[in-house]
Amino acid sequence: MRNHFKDIVLKLAEKDERVVLLLGDISVYLLKNFSDRFPDRLYNAGICENTLVSMAAGMSSQGLHPFVHTIAPFITERCYEQVKLDMCYNRAGGNIVSCGGSFDYAWDGATHHCYTDLELMRMLPGMEVMQPGNKKELGTLIESQYANGNASYFRIPADEHDLDLPVEFGKANIVLHSDSAPLTIATAGPILKNVHEACQELDVNLLYFHTIKPLDAQVLSRYAETQILVVHDAFGLSEAISSTINAKVKYHGIPDKFCCYYGTLDDIRGLLGLDVEGIRKTILKELGEL
Amino acid sequence: MDTLCKTVRQDILHISQHSGHGHIPTCFSVIEMLRSVYATMRHDCANPQCDERDIFILSKGHAALAHYCMLARSGYFPIEEVYGFGAFRSKFGCHADRNSVTGVEWSTGSLGHGSGVAAGIALTFKIKKSPRKVFVLIGDGETNEGSVWESLMVAANLKLDNLYVLFDNNRSQSRCLPITNAVEKFKAFDCETFEVNGHDVDEINAALTTPPNGRPKVIVANTEKGFGCKTLVEEVFSWHRRSPSKDEMEMLLGELP
Repeated sequence: MRNHFKDIVLKLAEKDERVVLLLGDISVYLLKNFSDRFPDRLYNAGICENTLVSMAAGMSSQGLHPFVHTIAPFITERCYEQVKLDMCYNRAGGNIVSCGGSFDYAWDGATHHCYTDLELMRMLPGMEVMQPGNKKELGTLIESQYANGNASYFRIPADEHDLDLPVEFGKANIVLHSDSAPLTIATAGPILKNVHEACQELDVNLLYFHTIKPLDAQVLSRYAETQILVVHDAFGLSEAISSTINAKVKYHGIPDKFCCYYGTLDDIRGLLGLDVEGIRKTILKELGEL
Repeated sequence: MDTLCKTVRQDILHISQHSGHGHIPTCFSVIEMLRSVYATMRHDCANPQCDERDIFILSKGHAALAHYCMLARSGYFPIEEVYGFGAFRSKFGCHADRNSVTGVEWSTGSLGHGSGVAAGIALTFKIKKSPRKVFVLIGDGETNEGSVWESLMVAANLKLDNLYVLFDNNRSQSRCLPITNAVEKFKAFDCETFEVNGHDVDEINAALTTPPNGRPKVIVANTEKGFGCKTLVEEVFSWHRRSPSKDEMEMLLGELP
């Protein structure tokens, strides 16, 4: 997927001279074509996320469209105040593009796991928060939002779901709908793949959000009378839904303890009950209790 | 004392007394630097957003009152407006909001942000091949924050010689984490470093007008908190965030040279 990001920004840079990349010493080789083509528009500035974000805000305030890119925990949690004050409070804007969200770097352990980024970014006034679930969503959302002057957060996922859904910023997708369903499942990002499979032949609705903020309140309101179950391998979506509608919202995702395991993304999802089997079990339990 | 610098000190005392807000000693340590920046950089109070202007950021945001008064006395708005300092719905908060106050280029308050933002703006001007410059005023206490040093390393590595850092060496951290040997530290960070009397406008002007030569510039300005009023200098910690009473006003105004 990072390869796809490379193609997207190269394409944007060819038509928009205001596009500039600031890297935290990641994806440097991957973006070699970009730096060869536009040597004065890619800066591998250093492993200094506070400064990267402040610089991006300064650049954005002067009419450029910077993309700051590094690993999710370092470009959100470590430099949260820079995002809050320099990008958001100053209304300077800028684009943050992370990789390694949730457990995409499972093998690197808890220092590299990042499940708070979406919620942290969502809480900041004026921030746009997107968790694309496949290449089409990544490309469409970046192209539509990168130059609007707002602060925008994009997460590049390691894997992707295989559903071909219409993509429009701020619009949710109704993936499954049943007039009789007492339960609505909500999810975001590539884990849609597991969630969709877990919902097969069950009488449930399934809503998908690639945009966490602004949340599609219109689509959500149609399901406010049903029980809502958020299945998500991060914080952010559940909180967004709970604060948007007055409905019964339950959450199946991140527990209140550090994940001190390594392995693969699927290993961790299995551990947390976020594999197909674990998700289906949770849904069946909800349906049995309704 | 420079006439304008004296006027700004009088403004600060009056507004602090009127509003009950203000960090007077820290404001008094930066006034000559503000005077010099607005005297030497390209700006136009009649057209504050003009494309050719240089950028100034007050990174030690708690000296906002001094900045407001200098902007007012430079023609950006009437000084009378600043008397709302710190009041509900006033444009003039105890830390400045660039989206409210004409001439303020960056909202600051939390320390350690301005130098990174300034580096980003300086890089933008390089990318655009623009002759515009960026000035950022940081405090010595602020320099306890690691982000300041991060941004200087990056700025030096990117050869941002259009970046001018004014370092207010007022020894505010003498009771905590002092920045000793400041000149050597900035030199070690590959910045072209000057040391000046921070209350001598001519010395600051000379450093600020040194032409670019491939490295960011740091002007270590040796200053005194409360400079201009003997009482403020001698009782600096008790006056850190205190406004004068009417009786104290007479005394402080009388102490200004």
